[in-house]
Amino acid sequence: MLKRIDTYRWLLALLCLGLAGPGAGTYASERPAAHGVGTDAPDFALPAASGGNVRLSEHRGEVVVLAFWSSACGTCLSELAALDQLQQTYRPAGLVTLAVSVEDDVLRSARFAADHPARFPLLLDRRKLVSRAYGIERLPTTVLIDRRGRVQAVLQDFRSTDDSYVAQVRALLDDPL
Amino acid sequence: MRIPSFRSRWLASLALALCLCVPAMAIQAAEDVQPAVATSAAPGAAPADAAAPADAVAPADAAAADAAPAGDAQAAADAAAATEEGTRGLDEQIQDLKKQVVDLNKDLFVLEEELLFPANTQVAVFVSMDVGDFFGLDSVTLKIDDRDVSNYLYTPRETAALLKGGVQRLYVGNLKAGEHELVAFFSGKGPNERDYRRGASIRFEKGIGAKYLELKITDKVRRQQPEFEIRDWE
Repeated sequence: MLKRIDTYRWLLALLCLGLAGPGAGTYASERPAAHGVGTDAPDFALPAASGGNVRLSEHRGEVVVLAFWSSACGTCLSELAALDQLQQTYRPAGLVTLAVSVEDDVLRSARFAADHPARFPLLLDRRKLVSRAYGIERLPTTVLIDRRGRVQAVLQDFRSTDDSYVAQVRALLDDPL
Repeated sequence: MRIPSFRSRWLASLALALCLCVPAMAIQAAEDVQPAVATSAAPGAAPADAAAPADAVAPADAAAADAAPAGDAQAAADAAAATEEGTRGLDEQIQDLKKQVVDLNKDLFVLEEELLFPANTQVAVFVSMDVGDFFGLDSVTLKIDDRDVSNYLYTPRETAALLKGGVQRLYVGNLKAGEHELVAFFSGKGPNERDYRRGASIRFEKGIGAKYLELKITDKVRRQQPEFEIRDWE
């Protein structure tokens, strides 16, 4: 009797695996590809709130800090202020900061951009194509891209007291092409 | 009294073996070296000592001493020349390899294009711009047979390249033979920095060969307006 129950348990476990396996595979394939460290950063062109368009591939040879933000996210705003300082310090060394707004309300982003002039372009990702391509799941998220156009770090949970951003950016700037 | 474990006993015996073996090996190595030194010194030393008198040895040594620096310099020069030649040869090989890689890449690109867009179904759309005083290009949206096929945003650098005479291939795709319609929407800054959006369309016949169309943006000075034209490259 006990042996039969064990057999049933095994069959049930196999059945569960059989059902869960294909389902999990489908889910994984339907999800937008989260952007991994060490892979090529997907290229994009987005309009800037101040006018004109910006294309990522035009900054090959420079270290790019790609910050995803929204005006409703308080941490994002303090991060943008910190990135502004970083940009001012390291611009001559080849640092480019691009801030991508994932906000639904483009006008709100544009208003924010007008109220908070920054030393880098604030880009509007109206259709969320770029944030999907980079697999952004939470804000703020910052992607560090090296001079060869490869993603070198994906940073989340910005803290103004945390200097690891600066250290990582400096390491990328020190790395020649 | 604590009984040593098997592991510590094993380690102790290994240490003992090492203590015995290492000095023995060192002595053996020293013995191997000494005969070698002796044999290398022997051919030159033995005849000089045995056959030649003491005063006859001195001039031979002096001549050898004179000849040695010249020989060394020659050898050094030869070695440097050989190294330089080797480096140059390596450099040429690297350049050849790079050229081969570029050629292979080109061939692969052509092959890919031929496979993805065969000549009998290929349709390509190009963009060119002339002068640009009355229009600053921002984006172009393409529709073929009422279907969006391309939406391209232009950066200032790309616009500058177009104004310098560059021609951009905006779209390449496949269409079956027959009649089709292409609609292009241009947006940007018009005269007096105003937002400007215009459309242009063309109906074209796709035959058995590849089809090339050009979106041409020109300035009409007389009307002080930009003009958008779609041309069929025959």
